[in-house]
Parts: sequence; C-alpha cells; structure tokens
Amino acid sequence: MTSLSPRRRGGRWRPWLFALPALTVYVVFLVYPAVSSLWFSFTDWDGLSPAYNVVGLDNYARMLDDPVVLTAGKNNLIWSLVTIVFPVTIGLALALLLNGKVRAKPVLRLIFYAPGVLPLVSIASIWGWLYNPQYGAINSFLSLIGLGDLAQPWLGQDSTALWAVMVPAVWLRTGFPMLLYVAALQSIPAELYEAARVDGASRWRQFWHVTMPSLRSAHYIVLALSLIDSFKVFDMIYAMTYGGPGTATQVMGTWMYANVFQYYQAGYGTAIAVVITLIAIAVGIPYVRSQTRERAA
Amino acid sequence: MTSVTPITTTPAVAPSKTERPSAKDTVRGGLVLTVVTGVVAVFWISPLALLVVTAIRPLSDFIGNGPLSWPSAFTWENFSDAWDIGNFATTYGNSALLLILKVPLGVLISAMLGFALAKLRMKFRRTVMFSVFLGLTIPIYIAIVPVFIMMRTAGATDSVIGLIGPYLAFGIPFEVLVLQSFFRQLPNEIIEAARVDGAGDWRIFWTIVLPLSAPALVTVLILDAVATWNEFLFALILLNSDANKTLPVGLLNFQGQFSNNTTGLAAGILIAVVPILLAYTLLQRWIVAGLTAGATKG
Amino acid sequence: MTGRSYTRRGFLALSSVAVTGLGISACTGASISGGGATAPASNTLRLFTYEDDTTIGSLKAQVKKFDEQNGTTTTVDSLPGSGAAQYPDKLRTELLGGSGPDIWRIWGGQIGAPFAKAKQAADLAPYYQKYGWDSSINTAAVQGMTFDGVKAGVPFTARALGAWYNKELLAKAGVTDVPTTYAELEEMNDKLVAAGITPCGLGGKYGWHIMRLFEYLLEHTAGPELHDRLLLGQDSWDRPEVIEAFTLFKKWQDKKWLPEGALGLDPADVGNWYVQGKVAYDIEGQWTETAAILAAEKDPKDFGVFQLPTDQSPARHSGFVEGYMINARSGNKDKAAALLDFLLTPESQKAMQIGSSTVKGAEPDAETTPLAAEWAEKYGDSPFYTIQDQAFPKKEADQYFSIQSDLLQGSMTPAAAAEKMQEIVAAWAGN
Repeated sequence: MTSLSPRRRGGRWRPWLFALPALTVYVVFLVYPAVSSLWFSFTDWDGLSPAYNVVGLDNYARMLDDPVVLTAGKNNLIWSLVTIVFPVTIGLALALLLNGKVRAKPVLRLIFYAPGVLPLVSIASIWGWLYNPQYGAINSFLSLIGLGDLAQPWLGQDSTALWAVMVPAVWLRTGFPMLLYVAALQSIPAELYEAARVDGASRWRQFWHVTMPSLRSAHYIVLALSLIDSFKVFDMIYAMTYGGPGTATQVMGTWMYANVFQYYQAGYGTAIAVVITLIAIAVGIPYVRSQTRERAA
Repeated sequence: MTSVTPITTTPAVAPSKTERPSAKDTVRGGLVLTVVTGVVAVFWISPLALLVVTAIRPLSDFIGNGPLSWPSAFTWENFSDAWDIGNFATTYGNSALLLILKVPLGVLISAMLGFALAKLRMKFRRTVMFSVFLGLTIPIYIAIVPVFIMMRTAGATDSVIGLIGPYLAFGIPFEVLVLQSFFRQLPNEIIEAARVDGAGDWRIFWTIVLPLSAPALVTVLILDAVATWNEFLFALILLNSDANKTLPVGLLNFQGQFSNNTTGLAAGILIAVVPILLAYTLLQRWIVAGLTAGATKG
Repeated sequence: MTGRSYTRRGFLALSSVAVTGLGISACTGASISGGGATAPASNTLRLFTYEDDTTIGSLKAQVKKFDEQNGTTTTVDSLPGSGAAQYPDKLRTELLGGSGPDIWRIWGGQIGAPFAKAKQAADLAPYYQKYGWDSSINTAAVQGMTFDGVKAGVPFTARALGAWYNKELLAKAGVTDVPTTYAELEEMNDKLVAAGITPCGLGGKYGWHIMRLFEYLLEHTAGPELHDRLLLGQDSWDRPEVIEAFTLFKKWQDKKWLPEGALGLDPADVGNWYVQGKVAYDIEGQWTETAAILAAEKDPKDFGVFQLPTDQSPARHSGFVEGYMINARSGNKDKAAALLDFLLTPESQKAMQIGSSTVKGAEPDAETTPLAAEWAEKYGDSPFYTIQDQAFPKKEADQYFSIQSDLLQGSMTPAAAAEKMQEIVAAWAGN
C-alpha cells in the first residue's frame, strides 16, 4: 500500500531509528507503569506502608460486592455515550454554520473554542454557581421563560446530578471538534458540490453524500479524542460533585482515586483502575484496528 | 491498495468557498445566520463572562453579595494580588519551560514514529501501531503510583524536567495517530522523487514530510500545548516545592481551609489562560488555512 | 528496549521498581522500594502545610525568625485547601518511598491517624517532656493528636463549631433571644421560615458541611456518653436515639430549615450566606469571623454566635484540632522540635494570629475578632466531641455521608439509616 517500495540501502532495522525515541518513552512511562499497576492490584497494599501481602484475585472478587462499582460502571457508560455523541454532533453543526455565510467567523470560532482551554477548577466553580437551586442563573432563567416548574436542585439529587455535570463537559469539549470540522469543510472542493447539484441532489443528500464522506479523516481524529477523554473521565466529576451526592456520580476514575489516595486501599483501587482500563481497551480495539488497517482510499 | 492516494483526499486542495450565486439571498441569509449564531455564541460565552466579572470585583463584594449579584464596585487589584498569591512569577516560568521543552520534543518524536509507520517499511509495523494506539485508552491514574515510585527512585520528583517523561508518554498515542494518518496521505511520488535525487530517510523527513504536514503538526501542537499547560494530576503528585510548581497547581493557592479567594482565583485563571488563547488566536489561521495549503508545489 | 536512550540513574530506578513489581514471588512481606533509612542530620528543614494566602506570610515570618536565631534554613511549602482537598493525598504520596518533609501540619482524629499508624510520624513524647508542652498546651487538644496512646503530633489550634447568625434577619423574624433549648431552636426556625427566611445554611457537597447538623442532633438525642461510644464503635448505632436523630435531620430538610437543594451546594458558597443575608445562621467555627464577616468588610456587631443547645449535660459542641507532626525518618528531629516549640510560644501564636490557639496565653484578640474572643470566653473551656469527619476514617466518613444523602433524598428511612450506619461502623471498629 502506501509504504514505499523495498529499501535500496540500509536494512530493515533503519525505520526503527525513527521509531525508537517515541517507543522508548512510551514503554518506560506508560506501558511499564500500567503493567506494574497490574501487580499492585493483586496485593493488599495500603499505599502507605512499606510492606504488603499478595492476595491473588481477592480485590477483583471484592468488586462484585461493591455497590459503588456498579454505579460507577453505569455512570461511565452513560458518560461516554453522551460526551462522545453530543460534542461531536454539536461541533459539526457549529462548523457547518460557521462554514456558511456567517460574519465574524474568527470571533465566533474563538468563542466556541474558548471553554476548552479553561482549567477545571474554574469550570467547577462557575457551573456550581449557575446550578445553585435558589440563586443560580439556570433556575432563574427557567422561571423567566415560564418553565419555573422545571427548576431543580440540579447537582443536589441523584437523579439529575450526573446529567448536570455532563452539560459543562459537553460545553468545553465541543470547541475542538468544531475547529477540526471547520478546517475539514473548507478543504472540500467546490466542484464536488457542483457535480452533485448538477445531478439534482438536494442539500440533505449533498450533506450525506458529499460532506460526510469528505470529513472522514476529521471524524477519525474527533472520535479518537472523544474516546480518550470519555472513558478516562475523572477530573470533571472530581471537581464538580466529588462523586456525590452520596456516591451517585462516582465513576470508575474517581472511585479508584478515592480508594488509592484517600481510603488507604491502593491494592483495591488499582484493581478498579485495571478493570476500567481493560474495558476501555476492549471498547477501543475495534477503533484501533480500523486505524491500523490499510486504508482503501 | 497501491501507491498513490487520489489527489482529492490529499490536503493539497486549494481553498474554496462553496457559495451559490444569487447575491441577494446570500446577503439576507448571511445576516439571519449571523444573528442566530451570535445568539448561540452569547449563551455559550456567558459562563465565561461570569468569570470575567468575578475577576474584576472586590473580594469583599463577592463574599458579601454572592457570585451572581451585580458587582457594587470594580477593581483591577485582583490581578496584581493574584499574581502574588498564585506565585505566577514562578509557576508561569515553570509551565513555560515545560511547554517549550516538552511540546516540540513530543511532536518531533511522534512525527518520527508516525513517519516510520506511514512511509517506511518497518517490521512489526502493525503490532507497533496497535500497541501505541491502544495507549489512547490508558487512563493517567492507573500509572500515577508506579510513575511516582519510579521517579522517586530516580530522584526525579520535584523537578519540572521530571514531568517531561510522563507527559511525553501520554501524549504520544494521539499525536502518532493523527500524524501518521496525515503522512499516509502524502503522495508517494514526491518521496520517491526525492529518493531518486539521493535523499535519505532523514532528509526526506525534514525537508519533505514535515513541511508538507504543517497543518497536522500545528493541530497536534496546539492540542498538546493546551493539555500540557493545564495538566494537573501528575504535576500535583510529582512536584513538592513551591519553587517547582506549575500553573494549575499554583491555582490551588487560592483555596483555603475555610474560605476561597474566588475573585483572586478568577483573575488568576484569566492570567493563566491568556497565553493559550493568544496562541490559539495566532495559530488558528494555520489550522484552518493550513489544511488547505499546497503540497502540490512539491 | 527500555534502556538505550535512558540515563543510568533512571535505568537503576526502573530495575528497582521491576524488583518490587515482579521480582518478589508468591506470598507475604513484599516491600516498596525507596529506603527506610533515616536521613543524615543537617541544618535544613522542610515544613509542609496547607496555609492559604492570608496566613502563609505570617508563618513564614516566624519561621524566618527561628532560622535567624538558630542558624537553620527552613523551606515552607504549602498546598492550601480543606481536609477534603488534595493536601492529605499529596502528603501521603510524598512520604511514600522514604523522604518527605521534616515537619507537616495535619488535622487530628482519623485524618492524622494513618500517619501515626504507619509510623511515619515520630513519637513526640520526649519533646513533650523537654519543652513542657503538657502544661503549656490544652489537654483536650493533645488528646486529638494522640493515637493509640502515642503522642504523634502536637496541636496548636482547637476549633469549635457554633451557630453564627445574622442579627438583622433574626430581628426581622421577631427572634429576640438566641435559643437555649432545642425546642427553642426549632421554634426560632419556624419563625424564620414564616418570615420568608431560610434558617440554616449548610451545603452537602463533600458531605462534611451538612454533617455538622446531624452530629449536633445526635449529641442532642444521644447525650455525651453514648455519642462518644458510638463514635468509637463501642455501642450499636441501630438504636432509638440514632433513629431519632436521623428523623430530626430529615425534618430539618422537610420543614425547609435548610436551603433548597442543600445536598448539591458547595460549602465554600453557602458558608458566606449568613453574611450575605440569604440564610439566618450557619454552623461554623471561629474562623468564619475572619473568613466571612471581616472578609466581606462587614461589622462583627451585626452578627452573633451561640452554642447549639443540646439539652444535655455537660453542654458540648463539635470541635477539632490541628497540629504538627515530625517525620520519623527526619535526620533533624531535634531541630524540628525546637522549631515547633518556637511556633508554640504565645508570642509566635499571637504574631500569627492563630484564632483558636491551644497555647495558654494566646487567646483571641477582642479588638480584631470580638466574636471569636467572646466565644473563647464563654465556651473556651467547655468540652467538645470530635467532629465526625475526623472521628471516622475517610472511607467510613464517605459511606456515612452517602447515608445522609440517601436519607435526605427520601430513598432511605431513618431506621434503615441507623442500621446501615451500624454495619459501617462495626466493620471498621471490628478491625
């Protein structure tokens, strides 16, 4: 396929010179630590004392009896679904808007992208204020437009808390897909649309048969990014609800953090991390395979 | 499945505005669209406006009246206070150092790996690709304790330089993914031609692949810069002394045991994000226009 | 594959972790690398604290004074935040692997306990003797820094929680005197609600803020002796007194004596509401005078404080201590202790404006903080019960907060809550 014809000089080891620096760093600081975490998950290490015992699969067995693990797993699933689908669709919609005849494009792009660069502490405080049941802007706005009945203690009850955290998550993660889509849309040759119009294709058909296929490589990048962020969700929840109320918004990441860093159960916490990583890998494999497959362009 | 990618999917296309004729419609439609998008944008940015307002009101006013009240007074003092409290003179330097060292290095080694994967005939290519991309799914928190122990033993904790390794490692999968998929779209003819002229892999990489991939490089660079600038967990765990802290850790200085200096924090955050927004504003032309820039000149 | 471009030092590090991770076979007694040896003595000290921007300066000034007198060089590093924030996690990680600060500040109770239990904090008994801390420091406070009989820390501040109220709002509701019995407190709440004022401002994010109400209710229903035994797991929680306390807790929410959606509110916001006039009172410690009233540039005269009436004898309030620990592996324990003794002199305490010092002769100043001074005068000697988030380890505290949350949302009955609490406490105390 796209690789060049057989090497003329040098051996087959030469490409490794290019690969080695990145691979070394990758193995030392990512693969190796991840694998040694696997080891800790078979121990009862408290994360503090110098000594620990090997307990085999006990930590994994324990997870079956831990109701929080169930909640966390479910939350992870909902979270991933929502925070992949919405930022990507909204990002695409905004990109289509911004690719049209709108004025002041650079300013608008900056506005939609800006939330993505904020540190999480600020997002947690700002949205906390907005969600305040009595004095927050969201409930005030709902009453203003006559929907006062819908006003809720958004972050204060199990039923809405997770959804309430997802809104700012979508808010801050829409900017980048938008940016990429804007770039990708601009590189679609006008001739393609003209040809489609000549064939009498409606705008809708043009979108599906010209726009979407041309955005394929953008889709891949956007999906990769969403995939990374979604499964590993940690800091957003940590900052906004601290897993609460109760344990209603715990995800595997925060629950792992609590166990390793706060409950002195590093062994158990690591086992949780291992499980979420395995699930993430399992879900990620089809995507990764699609990326490694030779592309039939 | 052979050699050349059709020219249409290369990034080699000239910018084009997909406009339709009918000038009047266009103007009116544009206005309506602008207004609609503008309204959406105002909503979108309003939480951020809250941050700005908080940054320019006195703390006493904030504590006395609450976050969503209209300020009774305005002040710039928060910014100078924040500069001291957040220890920005130090943390800014540290974060900048990290950014300057880490980001280009990360993009470079990722580009090298991406080049090997996309354009060189490498043994175990797919295995390597597969294992590297799998790294996308590994959460930082699974590695944090082992990384800490490792760095502690190597005497590399509490040093900004020590952060580079872990930061690089967690940036590599995404960067390689984006870059190699971009490299693959570069026409092989150009590279073959260079090779015929006697260029080695290294020269091809520097003089052809990298220049032709500016848009992908800039994209990766920006994303990586934002991620590096805002990274919190590794920095929190690996850095100890005030002299070595990075910006996000420095922002913790605004919280207290019993109260938070929220106006100071808001000002601090604005100070912290300025460079990123600035970089974005300067570079966004590249991302957008860059993707359409010509590889055809080759 | 790992070695090549990596430095030798780093490589050694790797191999030693590899030993930890993989080399140790089968069963017991594995250990984490990173030497347990005591560091060599020197003239440098490192103090780790969670002082925020308002107080870090005065601490550093005192430390500098000590350095000048003793020829030492002390670095002060701070990671500000509450007990629920990153500081304890960070401290724990720093100590992991053998080094860490020579001195660290920490809360008492179960937040400080793990460091004593893991023997990372030195036994300070010799220094208590040498410097006479037993007589210069409040005895009850010392208890809060004693773990399994070992004095692993020295307290310098003892915080007490009371009801801090907005005089104007109480007057508006026709309340002339602060309540002296629980019934009067309920009566006051009703009057406030009738006047359209939310009585008590507490927030449920993190759990520990709204907990202050429940622990008070439990002190009211169970009384001092039983309450203490419950906290130690020496008596079953599955009993009428506890159920009654949970029932009252729910009642406070149902009767709107708490803000709407209290469970989701951030204490950092709600803690200022009584100053802003959004609620009538709040359960806070003496710090609130500086952190809320004075910070809002309001006049302390417009506010007041009273001890929550428990109808029990002795009348107690919730409290907690904070102090310093010395690293058991520090090579400079003597100098570290000397520094602590210096910080614990009344002069230093006053210079640092420690609002609720444990040191005799360093009482709050009636000029700058009249309300804190008033509290110290009225209730300074009254006994206190350990604030519940320090009575339990973090894990059990979080489980307990989770029960509170379920109860307030109506998904758990008071009886079920009491039963569940017993399960949690028994599992912990049984260990």
